[in-house]
Amino acid sequence: MPAETMIECERLTKRFGHFTAVDGVSFSVAKGSIFGFLGPNGSGKSTVIRMLCGLLEPSAGQARIAGFDVAREPDRIKNLIGYMSQKFSLYDELTVHENLIFYGRLYGLSGAELTKRHDELIALTHLEPYLTRRASVLSGGWRQRLAMACSLIHQPSVLFLDEPTAGIDPVARRELWDLLFEFSSRGMTLFVTTHYMDEAERCSHVGYIHMSKLVVCGDPDHLKQLPVVNPPGTKRLDVTCDHVTVGLQAVRHERGVHGATVFGQSMHLLVDAGLPEQFLRDKLAAVNIHQADIRPIAPSLEDVFVALTANNDGGGK
Amino acid sequence: MNRIFRGFRAILYKEFIVVGRDPMTLFFMFFPPLVQLLAFGFALDMDVKHLSTVVLDEDRTAHSRKLIESFVNTRTFRVTGEVGSVREMEELIRQGKAYVGLQIPPDFSRHLAAGRNAQIQVLIDGSSSSIASSALNTALNLAFRQSALTLLPQTGRRDLPVEVRPQILYNPAMRSPNFFVPGVIALVLQIATVFATAMSLVRERERGTLEQLLVSPLSRWGLMLGKLAPYLLIGMTMGAGVFGIMVWVFHVPIAGSLSALAVATFFYVFALLSLGLLISTRAQNQMQALQMTMVFMLPSVFFSGFIFPRETMPWIFQAIGALLPATYFIELNRAIVLRGAHFLEFWPTLLILAVMAAGLFVLCAARFRRKFA
Repeated sequence: MPAETMIECERLTKRFGHFTAVDGVSFSVAKGSIFGFLGPNGSGKSTVIRMLCGLLEPSAGQARIAGFDVAREPDRIKNLIGYMSQKFSLYDELTVHENLIFYGRLYGLSGAELTKRHDELIALTHLEPYLTRRASVLSGGWRQRLAMACSLIHQPSVLFLDEPTAGIDPVARRELWDLLFEFSSRGMTLFVTTHYMDEAERCSHVGYIHMSKLVVCGDPDHLKQLPVVNPPGTKRLDVTCDHVTVGLQAVRHERGVHGATVFGQSMHLLVDAGLPEQFLRDKLAAVNIHQADIRPIAPSLEDVFVALTANNDGGGK
Repeated sequence: MNRIFRGFRAILYKEFIVVGRDPMTLFFMFFPPLVQLLAFGFALDMDVKHLSTVVLDEDRTAHSRKLIESFVNTRTFRVTGEVGSVREMEELIRQGKAYVGLQIPPDFSRHLAAGRNAQIQVLIDGSSSSIASSALNTALNLAFRQSALTLLPQTGRRDLPVEVRPQILYNPAMRSPNFFVPGVIALVLQIATVFATAMSLVRERERGTLEQLLVSPLSRWGLMLGKLAPYLLIGMTMGAGVFGIMVWVFHVPIAGSLSALAVATFFYVFALLSLGLLISTRAQNQMQALQMTMVFMLPSVFFSGFIFPRETMPWIFQAIGALLPATYFIELNRAIVLRGAHFLEFWPTLLILAVMAAGLFVLCAARFRRKFA
């Protein structure tokens, strides 16, 4: 039985003058899933989020949240959604406690109910020691937690997070994701934009937007099996060696090598299935790289997006 | 009611904390207007008194000395020195050391005694027109009166045929502060209040907190009223302060009813705060808000009747003045403070101000977009 659909976009389009920021994007997000929305800067990620939150009017197409049209019934969705913007917009003059109380009241909460939600969120985000601190003195990680608590005070069914981990240290990032999984297990739908591939790997579904168009959308494991990612007669190799950028130059234009990208201390190659390992070792030896560890790998999400973007650009020309 | 102003109490709660925690904003709301009021009030003194005058007395008789004395007695002139020649007199005026030069020729008393036309020369610095016209009027008046009194015995009459007995109502001493301070109060309140609300919403836009408000069920009426209310309280407090200064520092008594003045101030401040919010719905950043605020400042100085009477202006300037809340507040101020006018006499002006306040508020809420594009 298919899960209940929470977010649904149909050919959603946003034009600013002659510039099309979002071009006919269609996808749907099931209730309780974590949807990772990826794409380079300026590709239209934030514009999609802002249309879904009712901050921007779509130029064409439709978007529905829990069945309500975002453009025509904005008041029906406001209580259903929470939004955490890129800037963690908080009131710097207000303390942690006051920020939460303010957002609670904004959603019509008061009295014992407000106190209960406040205490729950403080416990969940471990903000107790900072209750009387002003938001202005909090560090990035704590600001992010507070912003998240504020966007959750009214118990939304869908939480939109626009690059929630930008500029946050790795520990805070890990803890935020732990929280997200917890919310997801309680049935909350999460819509997260991110730049980090490791975060994308943790999502139950991902969408990749490039040049205003949705290139692909689906579950990460499924995407890695796509034929365009694994062209017939090819294999993916991880080559770990010294001077990896020099090595990359040595092999990338050789016959039989279709793609080469650096990943930290190694490079990922897409080569003909029949390409002998020794061929690569010889090429590397020619540039004085005599030690190389070569092993076959499965495609990563990044490989998926690189392949799909290249395919998309090629198809467009 | 609750639906229309949804979120109002949350915004009110937050605004009071924000305003209270930001002493710099409060300081900049209160302090400059106070300085402006004192500076304007003291500097805008149009009473022409004790103009420095140099004298060239070539007659040197009891008659000429008596004439000089009668000039001084008008209190418009103050003799600051004697000169030896007309050239020296002109030089002193050109250097700005004297406003007026009085020359009494050698044959003044001789001509006077002989019943001939006795002439004196008065040089006046015309670079400041109000000073010049005041000096000129006083000098001419003096000469006419002297002439009439000299001729009086020959006619057999005991007093002058016509005498004006002027009575200046409402400002008997014709003091400038009484005329200016009520107008200055209007301007000072305008600078502080329009700026305060214009900035407060634009700051939220810049910080990104406005987006956070827009995704919530907060209504625009709730947002606008919540933004306006704390500043209304501050504006009224400031109003009480500046009227206090008017009474105790500038000694301008309030002739009319205090509650009428409070109601007028309420509507005026409400209108200005709404104007500030209206600006903030269009300004993208604080710089733009500042510039837009300034756009309303100059017309309020010139076309509101603050300095120049509106009745004598070309129709276009009168029309601009008619659109400014300051125009009506200054009118009300003068009516209530100076003339002690009764409610029945000024209610139409008060009504216009109230309608303006309500209209501007509705306009800013209506023009405020819940969406960005």
